[in-house]
Amino acid sequence: MSFVTIEHLSKAYPGVQALAGVSFEIQRGQVHALVGENGAGKSTLINILAGAVRRDAGNITLDGQPYNPQTPRDALQSGVTTIYQLFNLLPDRSIAHNMLLGREIRSSLGLLDLGAMEAETARILQRLQAGHLSPRQPVGSLKVGEKQIVEIGKALVNDSRLLILDEPTSALNRVETEALFDIILSLKAQGVTFLYVSHRLNEIFQLADTVTVLRDGAHISTNPLASVTYDSLVEDMIGRKLSSVYPQRGTPAQDVVMDVKGIAVKGLLHDISFTLHRGEVLAVAGLSGSGKTELGKALFGDLRTSQGTITVDGRPYRPAPWKAIANRVGYLPEDRKAEGIFQELSVRRNISLAVLPAITNRLGFLNLKRERELATQQIDSLAIKTPTMEQQVLNLSGGNQQKVALARCLVIDPEILVFVEPTQGIDVGVKFEVYQFIADQVARGRAVLLISSEIPELLGLSHRVLVMRDGRIVATLETATTSQEEILRHAVGVATQSQTS
Amino acid sequence: MTGLSTTMSGSGQRRIMHSLAEYGFVVMFFLWAVYLTLATDNFATTDNIFTILRQAAIIGITAIGAHFVILMGDMDLSAAAVISLSGVVMGEAMVNQGFAPIPAALAALVVGALVGLANGLIVTQLRINAIITTLGTSSILSGIAFTITQGKTIYGERGNDPIDKIEFLSRNRVLGDWVPVPVIILFACYIIAFIVLRYTAYGARVYAVGNNERAAWLSGIKVDRIRIATFVVAGALAGFAGIMQVARQGTATAGMGADFLFPILTAVVLGGASLRGGRGKVFSTLVAAIFLTSINNGMVLLGIDIYTQNIVSGVILVVALSMDRLRTLRL
Repeated sequence: MSFVTIEHLSKAYPGVQALAGVSFEIQRGQVHALVGENGAGKSTLINILAGAVRRDAGNITLDGQPYNPQTPRDALQSGVTTIYQLFNLLPDRSIAHNMLLGREIRSSLGLLDLGAMEAETARILQRLQAGHLSPRQPVGSLKVGEKQIVEIGKALVNDSRLLILDEPTSALNRVETEALFDIILSLKAQGVTFLYVSHRLNEIFQLADTVTVLRDGAHISTNPLASVTYDSLVEDMIGRKLSSVYPQRGTPAQDVVMDVKGIAVKGLLHDISFTLHRGEVLAVAGLSGSGKTELGKALFGDLRTSQGTITVDGRPYRPAPWKAIANRVGYLPEDRKAEGIFQELSVRRNISLAVLPAITNRLGFLNLKRERELATQQIDSLAIKTPTMEQQVLNLSGGNQQKVALARCLVIDPEILVFVEPTQGIDVGVKFEVYQFIADQVARGRAVLLISSEIPELLGLSHRVLVMRDGRIVATLETATTSQEEILRHAVGVATQSQTS
Repeated sequence: MTGLSTTMSGSGQRRIMHSLAEYGFVVMFFLWAVYLTLATDNFATTDNIFTILRQAAIIGITAIGAHFVILMGDMDLSAAAVISLSGVVMGEAMVNQGFAPIPAALAALVVGALVGLANGLIVTQLRINAIITTLGTSSILSGIAFTITQGKTIYGERGNDPIDKIEFLSRNRVLGDWVPVPVIILFACYIIAFIVLRYTAYGARVYAVGNNERAAWLSGIKVDRIRIATFVVAGALAGFAGIMQVARQGTATAGMGADFLFPILTAVVLGGASLRGGRGKVFSTLVAAIFLTSINNGMVLLGIDIYTQNIVSGVILVVALSMDRLRTLRL
């Protein structure tokens, strides 16, 4: 008999059917992967299982019993623990206090028995192959991977039988990821069942026994991992055949739209010079800490440059966000949720905020008709799914929220677009849309500065690649004649050595 | 079928909770008014209603500034001290320095605006938390006000009192000698505030900064300038309220604004503006200001003593804050 049975589960939010009659089963002692694009309904599903959101309709059974958690506490008491991307820990308290939160061990006098608590915590840490951590260490001093171990430890304290992991590796480095996988596999051997949500498909092939695909709130497939391929999963997720991933590239024009000479930002960027041409995708590669995201910020004026000159279309340009916008430089920030959208404002206002000066008369009054026109244009051209332009952005799906952030970039009719990690954290299908979108922008004569950590993507989209290291441009490469290896060599700094030797 | 019915009751329940949190105080206001109408002889008289509105004017006008500041996600605790200092400046200028009413009023307004400017500059340039900043300026302002008055009450000679010249701001009635001037001023201020928030670029920017300061900056909004401007507006409105209060009581004292701090902030929160910024309806703040005044008025009519009134005011602030919390819960 299956461990969890989900039948006809439905949930609607204003304007969105987040889940529409989803049914599937999770087998005991398996790692069950859940994949799907943004807006597929994964978050809603795990929130329902976690007791954080109430279903509209449908049945769930857990170990043969009806499972109907009203609060996260109900879920915990039924043995279901959800570990979100953002941890729920008390940074100033010790590992022992965090792990045994709400389950403190007391002596006969009713006082906390710290010795027993620490011993119990040490035992759990041992079980999680983290015996090197001291139960007395404050959680705030731990690395991300170690905090995650504490979260998993909390689940063990609660005797959890089902552990739901939401994008658990998104903040982990490779070593931490491997350690997490070891823990998952050893707990699985001890009979714990996992629901594993991730957009990193290669992890799923490493870890999962079964994989379920959701799309637009509907259940598409549940298969044993042995019977799926990378391509078949992606096709299930995006609902169409995979053809060529990267669109055709045109030839950039000769005219320079942005000329950067010797700019610097104290401690972050040194002597940066390059040119950007009309119709060109100029990629910026580099390891984290190389200064590539800072370069994007400096060009938009989010970081103040201390020297050097920039010209846009031959006009001198001193970056500050409002000047950048006036000079038709658009910027899509890395963290679109935190920096790109106004959750509680309408879609209309989210789009128009970048062009307020253009729709304001001399007395300071807004031209609301013009504002609506501009919003309508962007909603149509980006196919933003929203019931009306008056809808609050927080009611939109993640993908559509991102499109709203993009719309604010485009409403200024940009000549230059600076994209920082445009495909980070988004699903495969949407990635292809972003690629096509970038190609379309360039075809219209716009220039794109593409800052990304994904080298295959840079190679697939760009005309040239700037490689950065320690705040400097260390190589300018023609995409047509370079390779992933060459870019990496420059990025880590071994290229010059191999040339001299 | 069961699925359908859970949908209905689930969202229905949520909607009721939400509306209660949003407009619960309007219901409370209504019940209170009905109760007072039945329990007292003179609550529901035109005279008493105008009395309430007249008393609400000072709190209401100042609450507009507090509302703007809270919309940005900041907090201005200096408004009450500005009322005192501007009032003292007004009184001192007219009674002891021989200023005509208009220059004296300008001086009082400028004092309020300058305090706002100082608050704004400290908050944005020194990056000091607005609550701490305005708490600090409050103390400074109060010190200055007491230095000017030396702890005494400023008033003119009977029969030749310069303050009489602005008395019309409080006592006179217009529209067929019926509606008190302060009531007209109160409603006019709210209509202007509503238009500014709804139809101007400045209003759009205030909401944007309150909703997501970082995204506002990246959308080309000069965030610091908006925050400073809003503190200036709040300061000037509190200065204006100070003038009105001098007109109302006919004297000026260094502590004349002190009792207003609580009701001003309570009005904004009770009216549903989110303390995290970005959300709030200015007319709800007006209704809340009138409600708060009617509570004190009603307690006086019912013969409840002043100490109990303080307890009730405190309870209302706490209830208002918990409703703010309830509104942000997403079930």
